Amino acid sequence: MSEFFHQYFDFGYMGEHFWEVFEAFLQNLLIFAVVAVLALAWGLILALLRQLPGKKFLPVRFITIAYIDIFRAIPILIVILLISGGIPFLDFIPKEIRIPHWFGKPDPFWYGVAALMLVYGAFSAEVYRAGIEAVPRGQMEAARSLGMSHGQAMRHVVVPQAISVIPAPMLNEMISLLKDSTLVSVIAFAESVLISRELLAQSFNSSALILTGFFFILIILPLARVVDKLIARNQGKITRGSHIEVA
Amino acid sequence: MAEAMVKLEGICKRFGELEVLKGVNVDIAKGEVVCILGPSGSGKSTLLRCVNLLEPPEEGDIYIEGKSICKGPGSGSGESSWELDFVRQRVGIVFQQFNLFPHKTALENVTLAQETVLGRSRSEARAKASELLERVGLGDKVDQYPDRLSGGQQQRVAIARALAMDPHVMLFDEVTSALDPELVKEVLDVMRELAEEGMTMIVVTHEIGFAREVADRVVFMDGGVIVEQGPPADVLESPREERTREFLGLVLDH
Repeated sequence: MSEFFHQYFDFGYMGEHFWEVFEAFLQNLLIFAVVAVLALAWGLILALLRQLPGKKFLPVRFITIAYIDIFRAIPILIVILLISGGIPFLDFIPKEIRIPHWFGKPDPFWYGVAALMLVYGAFSAEVYRAGIEAVPRGQMEAARSLGMSHGQAMRHVVVPQAISVIPAPMLNEMISLLKDSTLVSVIAFAESVLISRELLAQSFNSSALILTGFFFILIILPLARVVDKLIARNQGKITRGSHIEVA
Repeated sequence: MAEAMVKLEGICKRFGELEVLKGVNVDIAKGEVVCILGPSGSGKSTLLRCVNLLEPPEEGDIYIEGKSICKGPGSGSGESSWELDFVRQRVGIVFQQFNLFPHKTALENVTLAQETVLGRSRSEARAKASELLERVGLGDKVDQYPDRLSGGQQQRVAIARALAMDPHVMLFDEVTSALDPELVKEVLDVMRELAEEGMTMIVVTHEIGFAREVADRVVFMDGGVIVEQGPPADVLESPREERTREFLGLVLDH
């Protein structure tokens, strides 16, 4: 028992390597922050493409839905491995793009960011969609009847209302994203799980992994409480009226 | 009669298997107030929604101020085969459920489309909105959000919102049906004033009293066709058709 405790909860060992693991954890937060911004924007674009009306946009809708379905279905690990293993060899792409070292970050960082953005864009598109579809149809009809185009109605009427109901589910997606930032360790980017495993390999001690876990708990538990608050708030303002009836 | 403001010709509309409108013809003159009555499911709301292309008809043509708004064959299907902008610039609609924008104040509800669609400046749009809200008796509510307004007040904001676009024709789709009885009058009063000012109005309603008093013509619909139409005194007091009598009997006998 004490051997187990020593293997996983060696507080001395944790203290010794605290800053090393902490700095690696900051890399997870960095991946998270960059991907969150990109995925929230990409997801909104996907959701809007998916809502384009009429027969004319059928191909756009079809491609968008196929994209969203595929990237929600493939394990993220596979996406990360395919991107980091494939993109560098696409030599029709300029080298600065296929092997990026932007802002002093190594290429695995950017491959990880790209993979997570592609996947989380698809997930957040579904959250936006739920929000957009929760806006009563009468809102779009009223806006269009006043002469607004579909795009103007989306921008000024539908999306602002959709945004107000999605923070809770979107925050849940973001919590998953933060955790999934550790997957970038498989392509040798030095984030917290990779560092912890290196420490394990050097010293046969797993305490750094536990320490990493603590860091995640510390960030995510408060966020989970925020989700609860948002859900409670939303239940107080279920949209009134504005449904339509046919004939 | 002068050139019709709105002319509907052989309008047919289906929802899947259900044939809601079976060839409706009707002319509405400039300044005329037409009330459409009929049992639920008779197609009267759908007909109204055809006029501003919220439900583009599958067959038939619509003329507004003499211009056919059907682009004709080869122009695609649904919305894209119609002169959408031409229609929406001339035809305003007020809905049963108000459909005010809940994230905007009363004033912003009335200014939004003025700015985005007509390109009016903010101050111009606000001036127009204040004037209209004043006119519908809501001068003191301009900064309220819809959920702080009663149903009758919301509906009056919705009327102001439609009028702000300077429509030539106003459509009213059972605008008092979702209101508590004591709030119906304030909305009908605004509509009555509008009629007196010469607005062309097509009003789908269950308010027989309003139809009798304000309408120039009453149209009775059932089963997707116009059963009979004429001056309110004729249609409401001495209907020719059995179905009209039956309906009026049910509506008036309580």
